Amino acid sequence: MKFLSIAIKDLKEILRDRRGFFFILLFPMLFMLVFGFAFGGMGGNTPHNLAVINYDQGSVLPNNQSVNFGNNLTQILENAKYPNSNVYVFNVTQPSESNADQQLKQRKIDAELIIPQNFSQASVSLINNTISSTTNTPSASSSNITSTLIIRGDTGYINFGTTQGILTGILSQYKDEIVIDTQNNVRGTPGAQPTEYLNSKVEPIAGTGDYTTFDYLAPGMIVFAIILLATTVAASLTREVDKGTLARLKLSKMRGFDLLFGGLIPWSLVVVAQVIILLAVAIIIGFHWQGGLNSILLAILVGVIGGIASISLAMIIAAFAKNDRQAANLGTLITVPTSFLVGAFFPLPQEPIGTFMGQSFQIYDFIPWTHTLNALRSVLTYGGGWNDISFQVGISVLLTIILFVIGVALFSRTRLRAES
Amino acid sequence: MDYIINAQNITKDFDGFKAVDGLSLQVKKGEVFGFLGPNGAGKTTSINMIVGLLKPTSGQILINGEDVQKIDKGLIGICPQELVLWDNLTCKESLTLIGDMYEVPKKILKQRVNKLLKDLLLTYKADTVVTKLSGGMKRRLNLALALVHEPEIIVLDEPSEGLDPQSKRVLWNYIKSLRDDEGKTVILTTHLMDEADKLSNRVAIIDHGQLIRLDTPENLKKEIGEGDVVEMKLSKPQMNNEIIKSLKSIQNILSVVEVDGVINLRAMDAVSKLPKIMDKVESAGVQIADISVRQNTLEDVFIELTGSSLRE
Repeated sequence: MKFLSIAIKDLKEILRDRRGFFFILLFPMLFMLVFGFAFGGMGGNTPHNLAVINYDQGSVLPNNQSVNFGNNLTQILENAKYPNSNVYVFNVTQPSESNADQQLKQRKIDAELIIPQNFSQASVSLINNTISSTTNTPSASSSNITSTLIIRGDTGYINFGTTQGILTGILSQYKDEIVIDTQNNVRGTPGAQPTEYLNSKVEPIAGTGDYTTFDYLAPGMIVFAIILLATTVAASLTREVDKGTLARLKLSKMRGFDLLFGGLIPWSLVVVAQVIILLAVAIIIGFHWQGGLNSILLAILVGVIGGIASISLAMIIAAFAKNDRQAANLGTLITVPTSFLVGAFFPLPQEPIGTFMGQSFQIYDFIPWTHTLNALRSVLTYGGGWNDISFQVGISVLLTIILFVIGVALFSRTRLRAES
Repeated sequence: MDYIINAQNITKDFDGFKAVDGLSLQVKKGEVFGFLGPNGAGKTTSINMIVGLLKPTSGQILINGEDVQKIDKGLIGICPQELVLWDNLTCKESLTLIGDMYEVPKKILKQRVNKLLKDLLLTYKADTVVTKLSGGMKRRLNLALALVHEPEIIVLDEPSEGLDPQSKRVLWNYIKSLRDDEGKTVILTTHLMDEADKLSNRVAIIDHGQLIRLDTPENLKKEIGEGDVVEMKLSKPQMNNEIIKSLKSIQNILSVVEVDGVINLRAMDAVSKLPKIMDKVESAGVQIADISVRQNTLEDVFIELTGSSLRE
């Protein structure tokens, strides 16, 4: 049971090197805090700042009633609330167009909606056309007037993205409601009040009513911490080589298995601590954790598999690095881009290169931590269970085994045999 | 003859640099074998090959007649020149770890660890982490780690490096007891002449990767002649060569060489020859800046054999 002695030794070294241990936990925790505060409010039930510039000059309905659909749309936008909530969807202001443009540049508002002069005319035209097509009688005033609503904003600003997405949906629905309401009136069905022409239906993803960008990013931070562990483990292994303690162990009856398997145990415990602590921090700063206690156990399992992949990567790094500083530098050079590649910080573009067991495969699906991240998101963000992650876990295990075999082979060849 | 180590014509080549060049030597069972040479002479490289950490470029090393790569791992214990310790483990934990790695049974290991801590005056620091030990304590722990599995061959690479006189005395006594009381074979590499002289049964003098001479300290000293050594520093060192020529003409002078700007003269009953020596120097118009007379040592053997003093 020499591996147990190595495991205990490594664990004592990790725990007694307090500065190093806190770095392992604190560095990702800082990332979690930064991302939490930066993205915690995004995409949730917060009003979007919208400037409405209403140039609509109004029109007259077939029953001679004067209407202004621009005012009506503005009122609907002002009154729209999130479902089952008292929070308004938009914080509507009505500045001049030039003022609104200025505010857009300063990012004081998220988007600007410009209602053209002929908006009511176009709406009346739509009503007339709907009446004539419903009754099959040509209308005298029937004509096609097209009106273009402009949604203006900074396309590089994430808040504009969400606001314009919601607006597009509402406007499309507004048009549909006019048609449906007109048809109902013609057929004698009691019509709805103008303000009830449409209800805002901004639907969040099922089960995540308060879903924010941070909910998507938080599991990424856990995976980032797990990948970053490769740097620490590589530096620790290289230090053992550099200080000569590995040579001392090599002279003994210790086998490569004892050293490497023994090392896996304490570092896996570090991963468990990382997952629990980072999840706790994430929850404290607003992560909407789904899935209960079971999801934590699954997250730990997934995290440990990802951790073993990191230790395997560390062995590969330690096989080439000459000292711990070189290992740390080389480790950073590999782990940080890898974190981006697996989508820890932002979603990756979908470029399938094939399918496997009914699942489409991307190029980055060959990296084990991609599946660690997918599985963690599944259990922690979406409340998924074992059935939802079993495929990801299976692939992750397979890729980790491959990486582990490569790591053991390289480290043993360069570090555990007599030097030649 | 019962040789425990037999190195046969070993060579180690590092990118064209021959660190060890055709070294052949045999070490007897139960002796302290001194490996004497300056830093960079090839001692540590030779030792690393002898213990199996480094593969020779050519040649073979047999331990008890068996290739070093195939021997039982518990046969050799090495105390490296550098401090090879785990900074965050205590003395006791470090020793227990190495004992576990050599598969020493728990009960026996506990006794051995306690004995080693006692013998090397570390008992009161048993539960202190390495970073909090003094330099001398670390050295002693470094040695203890080589002994915890009770190896037959103990390799001590520059064990006295950086030790204070008290720690050095503890170490020397312990090395003697390893040989005399426990019958261990000790290979001792050192650049300290008095260490090699006092502890070794036989001494191998090595420089530039080659074996220059192998014998007992006594025979080596006899080989270059018994007698005294006069060391002289002149006021005009540029005149050293001229003075050396002049001194060689004095009767019964065994040798005169210049070592690092100091004239090194060896002669029987050197004190009686001092007036003649001073006369020769002063007649050349040179003053003696410093002069001393001492007994012949291994260092003089080394100077005689290599023509240079030991490099630190």
